[in-house]
Amino acid sequence: MIWLTWRQHRKQAFYTLLGLAALAALLVPIGLSMRHTFSDLGLADCARQLADTNVAAATRDACDAGFRRFGNQYSSLNLVAVLLITLPALVGLFWGAPLVAREVEHGTHRFVWTQGVGRTRWALVKFGLVGAAVVILAAVYGLGMSWWVDPLTQAAYEGRLGMIVFDLQGIAPIGYTLFAVALGVFAGTVWKRMLPAMGITLAGFIGVRAAVEILARPHYQPARTQTFPIEGEGPPEISRGDWILTQGVRNPDGTLIAEDTRIQCPPGGKGPDGRACGAELGLEPGAYNWQLYQPADRFWLFQGIETGIFVALAVLLLYLAVRRVRRIA
Amino acid sequence: MDMVLEADRLGKRYGSTWALRDCSLHLPAGRIAALVGPNGAGKSTLLHLAVGLLKPDAGTVRVFGRSPYGDTEGLADIGFVAQDTPLYRDFTAAELVIAGGKLNKRWDAALARQRLAQLGIPPDKPVGKLSGGQRAQVALALALAKQPRLLLLDEPVASLDPLARREFLQSLMGSVAESGTTVLLSSHLLADLERVCDYLIVLNASQVQLTGAVDDLVAEHRQLVGPRHDGGAVGGVAAVVRASHTDRQSTLLVRTDGPVTDPAWTVREVSLEDVVLAYLADGTTQTSHSEWGVAA
Repeated sequence: MIWLTWRQHRKQAFYTLLGLAALAALLVPIGLSMRHTFSDLGLADCARQLADTNVAAATRDACDAGFRRFGNQYSSLNLVAVLLITLPALVGLFWGAPLVAREVEHGTHRFVWTQGVGRTRWALVKFGLVGAAVVILAAVYGLGMSWWVDPLTQAAYEGRLGMIVFDLQGIAPIGYTLFAVALGVFAGTVWKRMLPAMGITLAGFIGVRAAVEILARPHYQPARTQTFPIEGEGPPEISRGDWILTQGVRNPDGTLIAEDTRIQCPPGGKGPDGRACGAELGLEPGAYNWQLYQPADRFWLFQGIETGIFVALAVLLLYLAVRRVRRIA
Repeated sequence: MDMVLEADRLGKRYGSTWALRDCSLHLPAGRIAALVGPNGAGKSTLLHLAVGLLKPDAGTVRVFGRSPYGDTEGLADIGFVAQDTPLYRDFTAAELVIAGGKLNKRWDAALARQRLAQLGIPPDKPVGKLSGGQRAQVALALALAKQPRLLLLDEPVASLDPLARREFLQSLMGSVAESGTTVLLSSHLLADLERVCDYLIVLNASQVQLTGAVDDLVAEHRQLVGPRHDGGAVGGVAAVVRASHTDRQSTLLVRTDGPVTDPAWTVREVSLEDVVLAYLADGTTQTSHSEWGVAA
């Protein structure tokens, strides 16, 4: 069975590795030059210093300038990062969907399932081997991406909990890839033809990923609240890398006056017409800025939860696929 | 007599249509049986049930006394070649022989190589690039390498040209003659199988119409020609299979249970093909008129 699996998929494995190597050949030089610039600008030190709460204003300004310069040079790479999050879906399309659908489409399931091994074992060995290969592939991809996007996420204010960069690195890609493959396999056992199975896989993958990202992920842990006055020396010490879910300005009685914004006036500052800070918005004295956020140090916890969800979905789909394989003739 | 394959009121349904219904038959050991019926009669369904690819929706099917669905050990005794002889097209014949060895406990790789060498099949060419006849031979060699006690072949010669058909059947007969393997081959054309089979199962419209040893079937059917017949009983006739009438004369194909002695009837012997056609013609056109909404 192992020999057969290898013989059937070796060409595909070869092309996958070739693709991965080409990707590495493209991204590693970019990553190296990015890291070079990052350390030349002294941003590694900055990141460390800014993590400290009582940092001198001068240092902060210098560092912010450095981050801005870095961002101007490399922020277009964030678009590349968006392209890279599609890779797990591609693995699902080309490894998952054809696994059963191709056999049925070519009729070879009637050959292989009537030999002496039985189709349940066939399914377990095949899913197991392909799954293991995919996990290794995704782990390499996830770790490589962690290395590659690290400077970009440090330079970005919201850090690595932010959308897209979170999905790109750490262990989450393992969950995504495994889920994509399992979805492909399952779709193949239901629609039994490669093209529909691939289409369903793509649609299902995007749907589930978007739903989890938008609806579930912000609530993995109760979000923390932070409030700070609208009058003060500068923004309070929000550590870089916090993931701000929502923010706004509230009156002293708690009513939300302005959403998705933040107000900052110098102490005792008046508007041009002599009114109090924010009075034109209807802010009463004592109004404060308010935000809900997930702290940056929850990154690995969130990665673990996200990966767990997708691995659990993958296991469920593979279980259903094995059951369906027993019904295909 | 040892029964290799037994079906008892076996049925399989796809959605609301029965592909096979109330199918009861016995296949004795050592026979070369032809499973004949028009396209869509349920031949493939029956074979898939017998090899355990499908689970029955009604009744039972037993192969060597075991229920084949989900029975991995029982698979070792059954060789199966599916319709259109599906094989991994990018594998070479030699690789398929290796694959078979990995997938089966009992596997005679030497036998398979011997056969393929005799047939002049190149070992290092992907089987997708072989001719249809050669591919069918590869599939047969793989099925025989399992050393099965029952060999099921689904339309093995349907896509072959007449020469390749004859060669395929010849090589099949040559190899099962010594081993005493029971063979069940399906075809929509009796002519393909008439020369090789000694047992016959006729399937039509998802039901078994006729089953039995070829010699018995030929011996017990007769064609009667005589004056126009009104449907009354005729001595020695168990059942009228098919009747056609002109104004003055009736031609009946009948199953007999004794000698037909009535001098009004001229009794003729029939060929196997006559018998099969008579049973197939029966009951094919019952539904289509109402389905089309026209008067019969």
